[in-house]
Amino acid sequence: MQKMNKTILGYVPEESPLYRIHPFVRLLFLMVVSLFPMFISSPEWNFGIILLVLAILVYSRVNLKTLRVYIPLSISMGVLILLTHTVLGGRHPEFFVAFRIFDFPFYYERIVAAVDVYARILPMIFVMVLFLSTSRERDILVAFRWARIPFVVTYLGAMALRSVGMVIEDFSIVRQAEKARGFDPQGKSIRYKMRQFVMYIIPLFALALRRSDEFANAIVARGYSFTGLKGVDRADYILHQYEFRTRDAVLSGIIFLSLIAVLVARYGFGYLSLDDSLTVQLLESLLKGGAQ
Amino acid sequence: MTTAVRFENYSWRYSRTKEQALKEINLEIEEGLLVGVIGPNGSGKTTLAYSMNGLIPNQYNGIRKGSVKIYDEEVTEMDQAQLCQQVGLVFSDPEAQFTAMTVEDEVVFGMENMGLTYQEIEERLDWVVPLTDIEELMEKPPYEVSGGQKQRVALASVLSMRPPVLMLDEPTSMLDPIGRRRIFDVLGRLKREYQSTIIIVEHSLENLIPLADLMVLVYEGEVLLVDETEPFFQKLDYLMEHHIYPPGVLEFFHHLKKSGDYPEASALPESVGEGEKQLRRLLENKA
Amino acid sequence: MNEKQPFLTVRDLSYRYEDGTLALENVNLTLDDGDFVALIGQNGSGKTTLSKCLNGLFKPTEGTVMVDELDTRKTSITKMAVRVGYIFQNPDHQLFNGSVWEEIAYGPKNIELPEEETRERVEEAARVVGLDPETFEKPPFFLPKGIRQRVAIASILALRPRIIIVDEPTTGQDRRQALEIMNFLVRLHEERDHIIVFITHDMPIVSQYAKRIVLMGEGHVLADGPTAEVFAQPDKLEETFVEPPQITQLAQAVEDLGFDPGTLLVEEMVERYRELKG
Repeated sequence: MQKMNKTILGYVPEESPLYRIHPFVRLLFLMVVSLFPMFISSPEWNFGIILLVLAILVYSRVNLKTLRVYIPLSISMGVLILLTHTVLGGRHPEFFVAFRIFDFPFYYERIVAAVDVYARILPMIFVMVLFLSTSRERDILVAFRWARIPFVVTYLGAMALRSVGMVIEDFSIVRQAEKARGFDPQGKSIRYKMRQFVMYIIPLFALALRRSDEFANAIVARGYSFTGLKGVDRADYILHQYEFRTRDAVLSGIIFLSLIAVLVARYGFGYLSLDDSLTVQLLESLLKGGAQ
Repeated sequence: MTTAVRFENYSWRYSRTKEQALKEINLEIEEGLLVGVIGPNGSGKTTLAYSMNGLIPNQYNGIRKGSVKIYDEEVTEMDQAQLCQQVGLVFSDPEAQFTAMTVEDEVVFGMENMGLTYQEIEERLDWVVPLTDIEELMEKPPYEVSGGQKQRVALASVLSMRPPVLMLDEPTSMLDPIGRRRIFDVLGRLKREYQSTIIIVEHSLENLIPLADLMVLVYEGEVLLVDETEPFFQKLDYLMEHHIYPPGVLEFFHHLKKSGDYPEASALPESVGEGEKQLRRLLENKA
Repeated sequence: MNEKQPFLTVRDLSYRYEDGTLALENVNLTLDDGDFVALIGQNGSGKTTLSKCLNGLFKPTEGTVMVDELDTRKTSITKMAVRVGYIFQNPDHQLFNGSVWEEIAYGPKNIELPEEETRERVEEAARVVGLDPETFEKPPFFLPKGIRQRVAIASILALRPRIIIVDEPTTGQDRRQALEIMNFLVRLHEERDHIIVFITHDMPIVSQYAKRIVLMGEGHVLADGPTAEVFAQPDKLEETFVEPPQITQLAQAVEDLGFDPGTLLVEEMVERYRELKG
């Protein structure tokens, strides 16, 4: 059982071959590959991305059990997409009726559209999950700094992450404090539960406000005034801990090239389209076959 | 000897309050001393601390009178860069001080702000990290680091800027006894190894007394008593009138002094070990 | 005839966090009228976890916690809140109402008390903590910390729990404030019959106020007994990095001369010295 460490955003493996890859490359992978589904219309190719991500997850020694939380999300999203496209999609006499449920028509075109959308969104989620499951907060910050994003932005990002962590801790204590005063949300109405929301927000805000004062003092006392001290070049010490090797350059190159390949295949040769895809052919034979 | 910190008729009133936080403070602190600042909550100790590194008046609104000089330079005439390199400040809340996502990032922050090069940063880390005992923590994110550890990180972060005056505002008030002990261990080491002026605002007299060269009593905005540690605590009755509660050993021997069981001229023991020695001497003499 | 059960009984309590760490193991404990207990131990010893099992915030993974003959695993939070009150260290974690009055009335409203009784309880609680009625209409946030603390305490008192658990009442306070708070807890204990449990690191306070100490270490109860007795066991204390107050340490160092290793107060030590001196 691979040991996983908790981060603010999820769980990451204690050790992983992926850590040897520079964080910037991993960020690049996230940003580029999550764009692929925008250009790839063919559902089986998009599902292929999911398989690729799963393979990388296993290779990275991510304990797949920690990803169980994403299953309900994926399923409910699929159901939601299907419903909005079909049941809530209204009646369209120009479409082909694949079948009826309680006399409500389910159109073939709509089903295809739903599959299309789902097949694009799911890989994006998976790529994001891959990133979150293999990056500690530090990696994310290093990736940004390496990409020459201004220090202020990354520092604010770091502070935001830090604050989120503290808010999460505060939140659990606030919840306990409310319970200790007899607040029992079980079996109560929606309105009651919405009141709950207010109850949490106010103390969290108050705590954050008081804390921000102290944060500001702590930063100022060490010489930072958000425009930096006059004419000071930051050494960016942390970056020195991470070496951008040839391997990383090669990987970055591969990622870019694959993007270009996708674009060329799609717009140059017309591959990866929806109508020619195997999935659509399958759906056609299932839902349309024999009709007409 | 050079005066590191000098308050001259210094007064401060926060704009949101009616009371003066500090009233005509006059205080001189020679360089190289370890100074303990004590007094009840609300007496102005934190205001005093913040006045030294410029947080007051730069970050707070209020009315300021008189002067605060660090090595003869007026605080209001120094810019932020100079101030934070002259006076380092460690705050009391370990959580609200830690703003980065790893310990290493946190320690390096001040040095980066100063514009030190990579090599200089490395050198200083080699000094400050073993001193504050945080080697194993360097890669950790804040939520894997305890309060006491965070305070050592804060200390490292401030020390790495090598300020000649180091201030600590109730550094252990939110820590458990182990955390507290470890901070004082580091401070003890610091006192021996780092020639600087160290000013500690504290409630934990037990730990403070063995280290302090000079003690300052702040009460209701005024500095009532300044003296070397031993003579300071001879005036125990006066201190107790002002809500300073001495550690048990000190109090015990104070009672003995009052009843004549302990020589008037002798110093009050400052630790359990010393107390034991004196007690044995007193009781074994009788036989 | 059946002997009356203690108000709170912890039996073979174990608590395991979601990630598998064992926070408490086989804890046995009772609390009853007349108890004024200090819960001590280093951070991570389980004292906070134990305290949250006592009022049902945490449910035991093994074993039981019975309060007023109710099982915490099967009892609603509301029912527990009127029996065991929990005062958190930072009042800001619970204040969210628009006025002090509403804040204190929040608890009684949760347990659906009639308006008349709610008003009585709010006024009473405010009186006990020393809140000026002038503050009733003010929003809690803008009041000074000391007052916010009183409001938080009053809001718990309004539920009239028999047991009151206080998390680190004296941390961050100066000596005088600490004594004030502890004296207040003593008043609650003596005048209003509350059972008091307080979590703390402050040993001089423990020796001055606690009648009984429960010493925790690595999820176990290492010692449970009258204050002097527990402090007189330095080896047990060492296990969990707890040091008795200075005066007790001094007494223990000179035990051979005739001092009592369970000495708690300077006055006791002075008296004993006079006796020994002759």
